[in-house]
Amino acid sequence: MLHTKIVDSKRGKIDIVKAEKFLSSSKYGAIIYFIGTVRNLNENKEVTGITYDSKDSLVLKSFEEIYKDSEKKLNIKDKAVFIEHIKGYVSLREKSIIIGVGCKHRDEAYQLSRYIIEEIKKRTPIWKKEHYSDNDSEWLKGVSIQQN
Amino acid sequence: MKIIVELYGATKDLSSKNFLEIDIKNNSTIQDVKFEIIKFIDKKFEGNKNLKQIIESSAFCSENDKIISENYIISKSQTIGIIPPIGGG
Repeated sequence: MLHTKIVDSKRGKIDIVKAEKFLSSSKYGAIIYFIGTVRNLNENKEVTGITYDSKDSLVLKSFEEIYKDSEKKLNIKDKAVFIEHIKGYVSLREKSIIIGVGCKHRDEAYQLSRYIIEEIKKRTPIWKKEHYSDNDSEWLKGVSIQQN
Repeated sequence: MKIIVELYGATKDLSSKNFLEIDIKNNSTIQDVKFEIIKFIDKKFEGNKNLKQIIESSAFCSENDKIISENYIISKSQTIGIIPPIGGG
C-alpha cells in the first residue's frame, strides 16, 4: 500500500496527521515517521529557507520504483508507505518530506524507512536552492542520476 | 529542427523561461544537445565553468519520463528534460 504526493508550498503543507490516518491499521505493529526539515546552518552559512524544485512526474515514478524495489531488496511483503515531498519555498523548521512506514515488526520498519530516504537521495529528481541571511542563494551540489 | 529542453534545479539559471529552445540537426544525440547548451553558456554566460560542469554531470529524460543515454537519437522535434545532479529529502 503506497501513498505519494508532491505538495506545492504555495497551496499547502505536508502534514503528519495525513500520514497517521493512512498508516492507521491494526496490521502494523511498528510505525516509523521520518521527517525532513529545513535547518539553520549549512557549511557555516546561515540558512533562512530552501526552495525545492521538482520534476513531478519523474519524482512520483521514482517513489513507486523505490517502493517496488524495497520488496526485492528487503523482502518485506506486508507494509504501508506514505511519502510526501514539498516543492517551492519553505522556511526554517518547516517540513520538506515525510516518510511514514508501517510494518509488522520494528526491525522491518527501521530498515524500510532508512532504505526509502537513502534511495530518494540517489534517485529522485528534486533540487534544493538554499537562501541565506545575507540575501545570497545557491543551488546545492547533488548526485548525478544514473540511467537504469 | 527545434527541440525544447525543460530546465530543472541549477539549470534554471540558464533562462527565466524555465526552458531552452535549441536548434539541432535531425538524428542528433543527447551528447550533441549537451554540446549546444555548452555553446549557449559560452555565448550568454561567458563560459561559466560551474554551469558547464553542471551540464556535463546532467542526465536527460524523454517525453515519457525515461532517463535516456548520451547516445539517444533525437529523430523528431520534441521536449526533453535536463536532470542536473539531484539532492532532495
